[in-house]
Amino acid sequence: MNLAGILNQNNLNRQQRESVLGWALILPAVLIILSLILYPIIYNIYLSFFDVNLEGGNTYIGLDNYSNVVFDSVFWNSVYTTILYVLFTTIGTTLLGLIVALAMNKEFPLRGLVRSLILLPYVAPVISVVFAWKFIFDPVNGIFMDITYEKLGMFSERFNMIGTPEYAVWVAILFSIWKGFPFAYLMILSRLQAIDATLYEAAEIDGANRWEKFKSITFPEVYFVVGAIVLLRIIWNFNKFEDIYLLTRNVKVLAVYTYFKAFTGYMEMGQGASLAVIQFLLLIGFILFYVKRVLKW
Amino acid sequence: MKKAILIILASLLILLPLSVFAGGAEEVQEAGPVSFDFWTTETQSDRMATIQVLIDTYTTLYPDVSINLVAVDENDLATHVQTASAAGTLPAMFEAPAETAVAFGVEGILDTAAVTDIVNGIGKDKFYQGALKVLETSAKDGYYALPYHGWVQGLWYRADWFEEAGLEPPATWEATLKAAKYFYKPDENQYGILVGTKPEGYAEQCFTPIAMANNAALFDKDGKLVFNSPEMKEAVEYYAELAKYNPPGPQTWRARDYYLQGKLAMFYYSTYIMDDLALQEVAAGSLTSENFENLKGSGFDPELVDKTKLAPIMTNKASAGYGTVVAFGLFNQDDSAKTAAAKNFIKYLYTQNAYITFLHMAPGGMNPMLKEISTNARFQNDPKGIFKHYGAEKMGEIIQGLDSIETFSIVDGNRMEAASVITAQQIIPQMLYKVTQEGMDVDKAMAWAEGEMEKLVK
Repeated sequence: MNLAGILNQNNLNRQQRESVLGWALILPAVLIILSLILYPIIYNIYLSFFDVNLEGGNTYIGLDNYSNVVFDSVFWNSVYTTILYVLFTTIGTTLLGLIVALAMNKEFPLRGLVRSLILLPYVAPVISVVFAWKFIFDPVNGIFMDITYEKLGMFSERFNMIGTPEYAVWVAILFSIWKGFPFAYLMILSRLQAIDATLYEAAEIDGANRWEKFKSITFPEVYFVVGAIVLLRIIWNFNKFEDIYLLTRNVKVLAVYTYFKAFTGYMEMGQGASLAVIQFLLLIGFILFYVKRVLKW
Repeated sequence: MKKAILIILASLLILLPLSVFAGGAEEVQEAGPVSFDFWTTETQSDRMATIQVLIDTYTTLYPDVSINLVAVDENDLATHVQTASAAGTLPAMFEAPAETAVAFGVEGILDTAAVTDIVNGIGKDKFYQGALKVLETSAKDGYYALPYHGWVQGLWYRADWFEEAGLEPPATWEATLKAAKYFYKPDENQYGILVGTKPEGYAEQCFTPIAMANNAALFDKDGKLVFNSPEMKEAVEYYAELAKYNPPGPQTWRARDYYLQGKLAMFYYSTYIMDDLALQEVAAGSLTSENFENLKGSGFDPELVDKTKLAPIMTNKASAGYGTVVAFGLFNQDDSAKTAAAKNFIKYLYTQNAYITFLHMAPGGMNPMLKEISTNARFQNDPKGIFKHYGAEKMGEIIQGLDSIETFSIVDGNRMEAASVITAQQIIPQMLYKVTQEGMDVDKAMAWAEGEMEKLVK
């Protein structure tokens, strides 16, 4: 029976008919969401309790995957790397975005051009900028070593900034800040432009200096935008994979560690699934806390 | 470029039907249209273009067949295959290094009967026996995949530098380490040697002949894992020592550019490098100081090919060489028409003209597995002039070398399938990375690797 048929049945009143129509109209969207979002999540949670065998025949092993993951020191290393990465990239992108937005809010010649050029790192494809960065930091031919070691003599020897394990995470952080700050800049700038100029005029009459104006007017005005940007950045970077993996494979944040666990070597799909669940729980816990305390919803 | 492809296509079209029919008209064409995927590890765009030309030629002859060429990075192949296998979406046909193909065979996802059938059709005795041996099933009743081309690896070195310094060629552990130390001058942006230290297949390719030269093995002849041995430990320690004279940080084969720029004394590489050494335009396309004139180092040296020599064998307690056979294989399919079509396509690729066109993608690097092709005049007259440059005799030696390939997976003539699985999962490269880059203690790293290997063997 088609939709018109159901709607024309005379035992439904007008309100009921509208409600049937409403459900019918959102049904395709609901089905898509259920099948594409909810099903994979539930299946992933289901897999995390099994020893997964790719040729079929999963065995239920309870919480073994979780205990195997949590009692592995590599896991805690990757939690530490993730926190380091998220913390510094979030602070870096937000601060840099704020500073650049404040500067771009002033009048100066060619402002329109400069404003759009700043967006370049954000809109350029990851893979092409990753290759450019690899060239820049190449230990033998790269421009970075040429300037810092050859020309300025800042280091005692050439070294591989991207590849060396102890520096790699800092390059990844630097890369993420460079690539992500235009987003914060864009959001903050648009909020800045909406601040009423009379507020600043009134503050000047009261004799406020620059810092006081920033503290009492600008900051409260952009507070919630910054709060939202920080939240988004934390969510994005907590799950960040492609930037880090393409740039250097030895920065094992949780997302990269999960990939290695689940899809390379002796493929531990079940443990990979449990890692994803742990990551999800950590993130949800943090978001709930953040939304309550910082965004004060 | 387009014109060239058209000309090749046209000439193949003219020549091909002849050779196909000459080869035997017993080919049975499948009923109805059939389409299959072909995964290749030749990811470079110009190589893909050549394979596409062959596919286009074939599908013109057989309009009912369509072939979808997919490029997969060699280092990601095992991962992709495992996931595709779980999802039931394996391609009908693939190209992969022999070790990887054997690992797939051990998992039971290969159609060995169909492959063996092709080998018998072509004639076992027409192949180089060493190459077939690498791909033989453990029951010795068939083959996991078909050897199609192969390369030999060795230590390429600056013969002129060695001569000037009065050093022995890097054919032994001692001479190699001595030379690496001698030429390591980081202040002048010059490095002693390139061995793989990134956790990728290249590291194992460099490590294998070094370890085998010390009689180190993964398995004994009874198939018992004997990885954690004093010989292996010595080899890992020696490798870590060599890696100190590498360019800074984790390195892989891409650093061969440093050699072309005159910043490196020795590097492990396959015969694929012959191309780059002999042809200035190829090398100029890479990162040279000609393109970046402010950078320290010398420009591309057109005489480099004459100053370069190859040490294919490493000697310590024993002697070992290394090379890889690249093979075509067939994954099990639900639809037998796909396998039949892929089988036919492989047979076509073994016909003379198609074969030579394929191998000419990388003369020197891609060497034939059929004896009659290696002496074929058209094969020896390659478009890049590599044969002319190096001489047919030297090239012949390289191809002959493929007959005596040694790897961890062949012990006393017995194939150790578990060794291929270990290679496919890149456990040794990861261990070498831990030792050389993360500064992990050799014993600890080897214990880790042994643990991972035991998981796989089990």
